[in-house]
Amino acid sequence: MASTDSKLTYALVDKLVLDTLKPPTQGWYVLFSIILLLLGLGVFCWTYQILNGIGMSGKSNPVNWGVYITTFVFWVGIAHSGTLISAVLYLFRAKFRMPIYRIAEAMTVFAVLTAGLFPIIHLGRPWTFYWLLPYPNQMQLWPNFRSPLLWDVFAVSTYLTISSVFFFVGLIPDIAAARDKAQSKFRKILYSVASLGWRGDAEKWKHYSSAYLLFAAFATPLVVSVHSVVSWDFAVSVIPGWHATIFPPYFVAGAIFSGVAMVLTLIIPLRAVYRLHPLVKNEHFDAMSKLIIVTSCIVGYAYITEFYIAWWSNNKFERYQFWFRPFGELAVNFWIMFVCNVILPQFLWIKSLRTNIPFLFILSILINVGMWFERYNIILQSLYRDYLPSAWGHYNFSWLELGILAGSFGWFGMWMLLFIKFFPSFAITEIKEILPAPTRSGGNSEHH
Amino acid sequence: MSTIRSFDNRLVIASFSYVDDLLKAIDFLKSKGIDFKVYTPCPVPEIQESVENGWSGVRVFTFLGAVLGLVAGFALAILTSLDWPLRTSAKEIVSIPGFVVVGYELTILLGGLATLFGLFVLAKVPVIFRPVGYREEFSSDRFGLVFKCLDEEVKFFLGRLRDCNAEDIEVRDSF
Repeated sequence: MASTDSKLTYALVDKLVLDTLKPPTQGWYVLFSIILLLLGLGVFCWTYQILNGIGMSGKSNPVNWGVYITTFVFWVGIAHSGTLISAVLYLFRAKFRMPIYRIAEAMTVFAVLTAGLFPIIHLGRPWTFYWLLPYPNQMQLWPNFRSPLLWDVFAVSTYLTISSVFFFVGLIPDIAAARDKAQSKFRKILYSVASLGWRGDAEKWKHYSSAYLLFAAFATPLVVSVHSVVSWDFAVSVIPGWHATIFPPYFVAGAIFSGVAMVLTLIIPLRAVYRLHPLVKNEHFDAMSKLIIVTSCIVGYAYITEFYIAWWSNNKFERYQFWFRPFGELAVNFWIMFVCNVILPQFLWIKSLRTNIPFLFILSILINVGMWFERYNIILQSLYRDYLPSAWGHYNFSWLELGILAGSFGWFGMWMLLFIKFFPSFAITEIKEILPAPTRSGGNSEHH
Repeated sequence: MSTIRSFDNRLVIASFSYVDDLLKAIDFLKSKGIDFKVYTPCPVPEIQESVENGWSGVRVFTFLGAVLGLVAGFALAILTSLDWPLRTSAKEIVSIPGFVVVGYELTILLGGLATLFGLFVLAKVPVIFRPVGYREEFSSDRFGLVFKCLDEEVKFFLGRLRDCNAEDIEVRDSF
């Protein structure tokens, strides 16, 4: 019946998950300090850029989109699979999602928070970012609703809002369980407020289950729409290498691919540190590996299709662009992308590697390196070589951009580490739901 | 569910380890026309069917929010475009295909927020005061049953609850 171990009981689920909320160890503090250092570096670099101007970054004509927009697309992509795992797999009643979806949802919310910073960092005058929002203003003008950049504002802010609400609603009963077991006064108050005083009586569960299903139904189209809209930032323009109709599905598949890899990167050390093997089992890694194979194949197919479209179009600019990518001066970026995203994941066809945890951990990191380079390729290579050779240019990223990139991992890591220490990072209620209900006549009779 | 008996002055709280025991107790209370509240650590289909078999009104909030979002999205894009008529790339001032994205996103945004509002209204959260009869074990691994009865009925109900293997039965004033 359940995909989790039949020896799991309600009490054991509580114990395993709530043990992760125990006071931080030395290791946690060391990791948190490193994360804060990274964040500090990012803050320093951004402050330096604000004080000295956007010219401090490597951006120049014609390469006006560089590391910042690459990193924006990267983090939006990471966010993506959280919603896939939490909402889409919920609608399909895929039980393997239960132990991993909370981490995936947290990853979604924090990754969108991170992604949202980058268009602002990318602006020369970041303090005017709110001009993108449609509000009555003294200039008596409105933003252009036909622009994909404005669609992005709506898509990303809707995604952040809905995924945060979905995440929070899923957390409510689990925070209530943490409240009822909390020892310290601080945590008792924190969880009492955060759980909104939740006590799960039958009437509340009826409305809760209905609302949760509806949230899943609303979040599901967002899985398709967010990265489709991000892809239109490129596809709606006429730059060679961008103007392609395959971009939305190609971006969505890539986003799920990188997001699932990031879930693996997060959950493997978490399982090891908190000894959560009864909750997160090898079958879960096997299922995620299969998802990686599928999305890797779609991404690989999209890469090859791009070359085919360029050849078939008989457009010399498109053809040149797709010759330039694997053989031009930025070829190393292309081959990092291709090896990490297409070649290496094929090893997962070997069953034993799908449950080989060290291999999966390393692979998950390499996939995300590859996915960052995918966006870097799309952005840089096309802007390097568009139409007129006289307009071709170069881009050398500065130490400042690398500092801000590192800072984004610090920002994301800070939220993840705080979340893991203060809130249940595994879904207590939903894991209990898939266990057989304890009955005297059988079922989960080892309930005590 | 049964009608509320307003003169009941005793509150009975019992916890159960097993769902089938709880279901027996629920059936008994229903047969006696007693109003009761059941606490569970997670939604259990058998209990939900026995106690709360109607549909939730949350979907009404969702529908209204989604329709409002759809209308608001298109209205925002159309009316602001007419207010600031900027023709780009020879496109129509009111370019419906481009505005579909805005309408779509606001449908989801307001639909989702209305669902949250509906959940809060119908499930009556946030709860400021701890409900009478709630125990912390009800969010962990015990099922709770709370009901009111008359003083002279207490002995009878206690006997029946024990027949249903109820644990930690507590009786207190209901006021």
